[in-house]
Amino acid sequence: MVSWLLATPGRLYVVATLLPLAAYFLLLVGGCLRAVCRPYAHSPGFARFLYFFLGGHRPLKSGAYLATGAIALSAALSIVGLVNFLGESDSVSTIEFDHRWAERTTWAQVGPSDAARPAVQLELGYRIDHLTALMFAMVAFVSAWIFVFSLGYMADETEEVHEDHEAHVKRPGRYGRFFLFLSLFCFSMLNLLIADNLFQVFISWELVGVCSFFLIGFYHERDSAAFAANKAFIVNRVGDAGFLIGLALVWTYFGTFNFADIFAELATRGPPMPEHLFVIMGIGIFLGCVGKSAQFPLHTWLPDAMEGPTPVSALIHAATMVAAGVYLVGRAYPLFAPEVRLLIAYTGAITLFLAATIALVQTDIKRVLAYSTVSQLGFMMLGLGVGGWVAGLLHLLTHAFFKALLFLGSGSVIYGCHHEQELPKMGGLRHRMPVTAYTMLIGVLAISGTPFFSGWYSKDMILSNALGFALHDTEHMALCILPLVTAGMTAFYMFRLWYLAFAGEPRSHAAEEAHESPWVMTLPLVVLAIFSVCVAWGWPLWDPHASYLGHLLEKARPGPAHGLAPDDTTHSAGWLALLAAAAGFGLATLMYGVRKFDPAVVKAKAGAAYAFLREKWHFDELYDALFVRPAVALGYGTARFDKRAAPPDEAEIADQSVNVSSLDGVLNALGLGTAILGRKLREAQSGLIRRYVTVLMLVAVALFALLVVVYA
Amino acid sequence: MTDLGLTPYLCLGAFLFACGLLCIAAKRNAVGVLMGVELVLNAANVNFVACARYVPKFALEGQVFALLVIVLAAGEAAVALAIILNFYNNHATVDVDRADELKG
Repeated sequence: MVSWLLATPGRLYVVATLLPLAAYFLLLVGGCLRAVCRPYAHSPGFARFLYFFLGGHRPLKSGAYLATGAIALSAALSIVGLVNFLGESDSVSTIEFDHRWAERTTWAQVGPSDAARPAVQLELGYRIDHLTALMFAMVAFVSAWIFVFSLGYMADETEEVHEDHEAHVKRPGRYGRFFLFLSLFCFSMLNLLIADNLFQVFISWELVGVCSFFLIGFYHERDSAAFAANKAFIVNRVGDAGFLIGLALVWTYFGTFNFADIFAELATRGPPMPEHLFVIMGIGIFLGCVGKSAQFPLHTWLPDAMEGPTPVSALIHAATMVAAGVYLVGRAYPLFAPEVRLLIAYTGAITLFLAATIALVQTDIKRVLAYSTVSQLGFMMLGLGVGGWVAGLLHLLTHAFFKALLFLGSGSVIYGCHHEQELPKMGGLRHRMPVTAYTMLIGVLAISGTPFFSGWYSKDMILSNALGFALHDTEHMALCILPLVTAGMTAFYMFRLWYLAFAGEPRSHAAEEAHESPWVMTLPLVVLAIFSVCVAWGWPLWDPHASYLGHLLEKARPGPAHGLAPDDTTHSAGWLALLAAAAGFGLATLMYGVRKFDPAVVKAKAGAAYAFLREKWHFDELYDALFVRPAVALGYGTARFDKRAAPPDEAEIADQSVNVSSLDGVLNALGLGTAILGRKLREAQSGLIRRYVTVLMLVAVALFALLVVVYA
Repeated sequence: MTDLGLTPYLCLGAFLFACGLLCIAAKRNAVGVLMGVELVLNAANVNFVACARYVPKFALEGQVFALLVIVLAAGEAAVALAIILNFYNNHATVDVDRADELKG
C-alpha cells in the first residue's frame, strides 16, 4: 500500500476522494438494512439483533461519526498530499511529475480502435496541480469542520422531530440521512476537483447539483423547502443546458475532454473551430458556471437555498458547491475567448453590485449571508474576467474559510436562539455567546477587507486587477467603480448584521434566553476563524501581492496570461477599497452600533428604494411572469387537451355519446366506436334458427341472382 | 300417355323445395320444421328420380342417390325427433324460437 502510494502519490487524492463515497455507501447499506429489518423488530432472531445494532428506532449516531471520520481522514490525506506536492513541484521534472501526479484510464469505449481512426472513448482520470491541490485541501478541510459542527447542530434529528414550521407533523429524526447526503456531496465535490477532463467534471457537477437538491429539501415537509429545492435544481438546469452545448462543441472540435490535451492543442494550433463557435463554446461553459455559482441572471436560487439546514448552507452555498462554478472558470480558462472574458467580468460586476444592494436590507441572518455570498462570487468572476486569474481563485480560497465561518456562526446563533433567524429579534448576543460573537466578528472583518485579514489580500488583488483593466480601457470603467462601491456596501451590511445580532440589548425573548453552543460547534468556529485571518499571509505582511497562497496559485496559471494585470495601480486600488470599506463600517456603526440616527427613519425616507431592494429587485416576480407562469399555463393547457371530460361508462356506451374535444376523448371515441360496432355485430348471431334459415335462403337466392346477372 | 319431359318434374321439385323451405322458415313448431325438412329432402328426391329417368348418364346414380336420401331422411328424422324430445323435456315446449340460448 505504501509503496503503491509512493510510486504515484497522486493516488493519495483518489483515496481521499473515495473515502466519503465509502462512507456514503456504508450509511446507505446500513440504512437500507435497518429498514428491511424493521418488521422483525419484535420477533426474536438475527434480524432483530441487526435492527437494534443499526440503531433501532432512533437514527444511529455512529453513522455520523463514521462519515465525519471519513471526511476528516480525507482532509488529513489532502494535507499530506499538499505538503508532498509542494515539496516535489519545484524539484521534479515535468514529465516525471505528470507521471507521478496524474493518471487516466479508459472508462467507456465505443467501436473498435485502430490506428487510422481512434475509437470514441471517455476517460476517467485525475491530475493534480497547484490549483487542485489547494482547492482540494480547502474543500476537504472546511468540509471536515462543517461535519464536526453538524454533529452538534443536527443533534435534534436523533430524536423524533415535531415539525411545526408550516406543516404539523411528527417524523422520525434524519440524523443519518443528513450525513449520508453530506458524504455524497463531499465525494462529488472532491471528484470534481481532481478530474482531469470536462466530462468527469460534468458528472460531478450534476452529482453536486442533486445533493444540493436533497439537502436544500431536507425539511421537505415544509413547502418553502420543497420549492427552494426545486428552484435550485431547475435554475441550475438552465445553466447546465449551456454547459452541455459547450461540451458538445468541445467534443466535436477537439475530440477529447481532457484538459491537458485541449490546452496543448490550443497552445500549439489555436482554436480548431470557427471563431464564433469558439465564443459560443466559452459562453456555454460559462453559463453552466453562472448557474452553479449563482451569478446574475441565475442568482435567484441561492438565497432560497437557505431553507436547508445551516451546515448545508455553510458547506454547499458558501464554501464548496458555488465555488465549483468559479473553479471551472479558472480551470477551463484558456477556453474563454477575450469576448467571453469580458462577459464574465460584466456578469461578475453586475452580480456583485446587485446582490450587495439586496443584502443591505435583508433581515434574515442567513439571507444576508446568502446575498453576501452571491456578491463575493461576483467579485471572483470579475477578477477572473479582467484577467486576474490568481486574484479570483485566491478570493475563492479565502472566501471559503470566512464564509464557512460566518455561516457556521449564524448556525450557532440560530441554534442558541432556538431557531430564531430574524435579526431584529436578536441583539446583545455577545454577552451570551461570546465565542460565536467574536469568531463571527473575525469573519465580518475578513469579508469586509480589513487589512491583514485573508479577505483583504484577495479582494485587493481583484480590485487592482479591475482598476488596471479599467484604466487600460476606460470604456470599462464600470468594472472598477461597481466593486469599489460594493466593497463599501459589503462592510456596511456585514457590520449591520453583526451589530444587530450581537450588540445592543436583546430585543426578544429568544435572544434573552440564548446560550452558547456546545464545544463541538464552537471549536470549528475557532479553527475557521484562525484560518480566516492568516490563510493568505505572506511576507511582507502588508503587501497583498506577497501572499504565499497567491504565489502558489500563480504556478498553476494556465498558459500565457492574456489578461492585463498591471501591478502599478495596486496601492491606489487598495486605498480606495479601504476607504470604501471604512465608509461602510462607519455608516453601519452610526446606524446600528451607536444608534446616532435611526434606521427606521432612513427606511421611511427611502421607502420606494427600500421596498425595491427588499423585494430583491423583483427578480422573482419577473421570472415568475416570464417563465414560470407561461410554463404552468402551457402545462395546464396540455393537461386540458389530454384530460377527458368524464370516464366513459356503460351508460355512455349505450347512449353512444362521444366527446372528441380532447385527446382522451378521441381515444375514448375510438374505443367506444369499436365497442358499439361489436354490439351491433353480436345481434346477427341471434340464436333463432328460423332467422338463420331465412338469411341462408335469401343469400342463396341473391347468389343465384348474381350468377344469372353475371353469366346472362 | 304423353311424355311430359324433365321440366315439369323439376318444377315440381322446385315447388316442393320452396314449400319445404317456407315451412322451415315460418313454422315455430319444431315438428313442423322437421316436416319442412322432409319436404326439402323429398323435393331433392323428385329431382333425382326424374333425372334418372330422363338423363341417360344418371340412370343408375339417380336411383341410388334417391335411396340414399330416403335413408338419410330416416336417420335425420330419428336424430331430430330425439333432440326435439329432449328439448321438450327441458323447456316444456317445442317452439324453436325459444331455443335461442346459443346467441352471441
